[in-house]
Amino acid sequence: MRSLFMMLAASGLALAQPSDVKTDTLSNGMKILIQEDHNIPNVAMYFFYKIGSRNEHPGTTGLSHFFEHMMFNGAKKYGPGQFDFQMEKSGGNNNAYTTEDDTVYTDWFPRSALEMMMEMEADRIRDLAFDPKIIESERGVVYSERRSSVDNSNFGILFEQLHAAAYTAHPYHWPVVGWPSDIEAWTMDDLKNHFRMGYAPNNCVMVVVGDVQTAEVISLAKKYIEPIPRQDPPPPVRTKEPEQIGERRVTVVKPAQLPIEMVAYHVPESNNPDDAALDVLETILSRGQSSRLYRRMVDKEQLVLSVSASRRTTFDPGLLVFVMQPRSGIEPARAEKVLFEELSRLSSQPVPAEELQKARNQLLAGHYRELKTIAGRANLLGEYEVFYGDYRKLYSVEQTYDAVTPADIQRVARQYLTEKNRTVATLIPEVSSKGKQP
Amino acid sequence: MTARWSLIALVWCASLFGQLKLPPYTRQVLPNGVVVDLLPRTGVPLVQFRILVKGGVEAEPANLAGLAGVTAQLLRKGTSRRSADQFSEELDFLGGTFQTFDSPQSSATTITGEFLKKDFDRGLDLMTDAVLHPTFPEAEVRKTLSQRVDAAKSIKDNPQAAIGAYFAAYFFGPGHPYGHPADEITLGRIQRQEIVDFHKRLYCGRNLVVIVTGDFDAETAAGKLREAFASVPSGQAFEWTKTAHASAPSDVLLIDKPDATQTYFYIAQPGIDRKNPDRVKLLLINTLFGGRFTSMLNEALRVNSGLSYGANCLLQRVRLPGAIVITTYTKTETTEKAIDLALDVLKQLGEKGITAEQLASVKAYIKGTFPTQQLETTDQLSNVLADMELYGLGKDEIDDFFSRIDAASLDDINAAARKYYKPDHLTLVMLGNAAKIRQVAAKYASKVIEVSVNKPGYGT
Repeated sequence: MRSLFMMLAASGLALAQPSDVKTDTLSNGMKILIQEDHNIPNVAMYFFYKIGSRNEHPGTTGLSHFFEHMMFNGAKKYGPGQFDFQMEKSGGNNNAYTTEDDTVYTDWFPRSALEMMMEMEADRIRDLAFDPKIIESERGVVYSERRSSVDNSNFGILFEQLHAAAYTAHPYHWPVVGWPSDIEAWTMDDLKNHFRMGYAPNNCVMVVVGDVQTAEVISLAKKYIEPIPRQDPPPPVRTKEPEQIGERRVTVVKPAQLPIEMVAYHVPESNNPDDAALDVLETILSRGQSSRLYRRMVDKEQLVLSVSASRRTTFDPGLLVFVMQPRSGIEPARAEKVLFEELSRLSSQPVPAEELQKARNQLLAGHYRELKTIAGRANLLGEYEVFYGDYRKLYSVEQTYDAVTPADIQRVARQYLTEKNRTVATLIPEVSSKGKQP
Repeated sequence: MTARWSLIALVWCASLFGQLKLPPYTRQVLPNGVVVDLLPRTGVPLVQFRILVKGGVEAEPANLAGLAGVTAQLLRKGTSRRSADQFSEELDFLGGTFQTFDSPQSSATTITGEFLKKDFDRGLDLMTDAVLHPTFPEAEVRKTLSQRVDAAKSIKDNPQAAIGAYFAAYFFGPGHPYGHPADEITLGRIQRQEIVDFHKRLYCGRNLVVIVTGDFDAETAAGKLREAFASVPSGQAFEWTKTAHASAPSDVLLIDKPDATQTYFYIAQPGIDRKNPDRVKLLLINTLFGGRFTSMLNEALRVNSGLSYGANCLLQRVRLPGAIVITTYTKTETTEKAIDLALDVLKQLGEKGITAEQLASVKAYIKGTFPTQQLETTDQLSNVLADMELYGLGKDEIDDFFSRIDAASLDDINAAARKYYKPDHLTLVMLGNAAKIRQVAAKYASKVIEVSVNKPGYGT
């Protein structure tokens, strides 16, 4: 089978069977997922390490992300800069990302570079180097990243404050990039401990999609990665967020043209039976110009420039976050009141069948769009394996959404979208006396 | 999610293997001038419609900047057969997309819609209804314009977006089609009649290109497309701007944002247009200089010094000659160090030149990344066809791409680097806390023009 889509097309969007994904587990515990796709002569190879900022502690916040940067700064065989240098001259490129829950390394390259990539990945998982000079330089890079994405971004800084207020005990309290003072203070020992804790083959899932032969991938993985010994996985995250028992409010006052408001509700982890109902709820509220919140808040009442609803994929209970940017002259309180009205309408009235079907269609079409590229498929296969416990659930998305009923939506709205379970963060524009024109 | 790096380079991309070819497609020109390109490709049960309306920013009066974008945004907000709400309801029920794109350097308005294969007919109907029969209801016009004015203001809250707009206005200058980004002032002036007139003048047969890619039967589709677009009046072909020169001033423009904790800066000089015969050489040079992770700029400003999260060079490849722009940012305290370093890297490019090893690496890089960036999805293929139509490029743009890369010799490359990447007569634009960086700015020019980010618009 050439790709998942061949099957989707053949069956008129009926669901494909997961049989075109081959799996294997190395003797050291690393699971491998492989999907051959010979459409273009390229490969997407992703490594999902189950370690992220939830595995950190006060004083070392941001370390997982910093470590992600350090993974490109030299190992035993391939020294500083060599990973990127060798990869680019072989026609490949890469990136990586860190979340609260995992750290993912993403390699894209022509099929001819497969063996070299496998060797370089093994080299850095086994024998990462820790050069004090490079650590200092990379600290500057990460701080610069924080300045761009948080300190000089109104959305970024408010999002950070929202999480810090919504979580009082659980590690989702702190930002993935880390608090500034921790960025300045990480030590070499912190890095080494983190490496030992998270970078074990048994704590990782490898996903390879593209112009490869399954047998070749497995044989290269056995040659380069299987000899790396297994280790204890990271200790379990013990702290659970206590139930929220009253609304929390936080403000950020900062020079701005327009205010921003974010409203968050605690919701369950991704691998929870309510996940699909929450997807549908989110879609009904905010996807497309016919969605409830867009139609009322952006279009009819013109209260906000934009409104969105989203959740992250998480191991532990997460947040459903609404983000809205009030229009000039509109008090955030006025916009917020309308948001709350729409949320309570979901609790009090069942969603009409046609509206539910529209949401299912939107979710499914969106899901297919994510599968268009080898990179998109590598990412989703990995996410389903890691967060939902089985990549095969990716192939039953349609049934999952079909099973959601109007009563489910009403139930989750009543259960989670309550005042007591709510955190509101507002960015209030500061009137600056220095704002005069030259 | 926090990612390792982000690259905004306009890398046109690309295997160590044989030349990849553009998949077969058909091109027909209807009697009224509408061009219809069909590129069927099975595998993904989706179909994409892309409609180009030639003109874009070149067709806007400078004092009404934003007119092309607003017109496109209003297409779905009421048609002869559907209200805005009906259009959205129908589109969303199909799980379809409908997007319009415009940028300050775009010589066409682009409208795309993507639908499931089974919804080909309904998708086409929505597309043509919006593009050909909008009614621009007064209430919708007022609503959209007032939203756009607020959105324009909020750009000032995003330093990276804001500096791009200030740069375009300053570098190209008011007389240049690329020199008037839409702002709250120009958007505030637009009236409904101007939108109606713009649509009537530009959305006509001789200016329309319709590109359909994805899973469909080409023959059936050709008939449907002919029928759908047959009634469009042929109108007048848009007359392109003949010449336009960037003013490329050498005074420094400093935008004051007192709460900024880092300085964002652009260092620019005139570049090339999309059809320039040196374009493949420049792509190679620019990628080495500032278009990939191991580029000279990123090595200097990120990898070796830790001054920035990233440094790039944009090579604008648009219809009129664009700019070559170094872009990066650094904390306020290291502003001078970072600007000096960026200038030094530029100087070294001319003085030391590019080595045979570097050239071999970048050739492999561009070929290797090409399939995933240009030829993997139907959206990408549709975009390739759109560029060919808009800029008057041939199929050889793709089919001979690898051989043109192979043909670029080291001498050619170094000569082109010296010709285009000059170390002087540069335009410097900075955005940051002026009180702390005013002195630094003065080092780079005899005159520094300062403007507060709170002043409406992007003018000086």
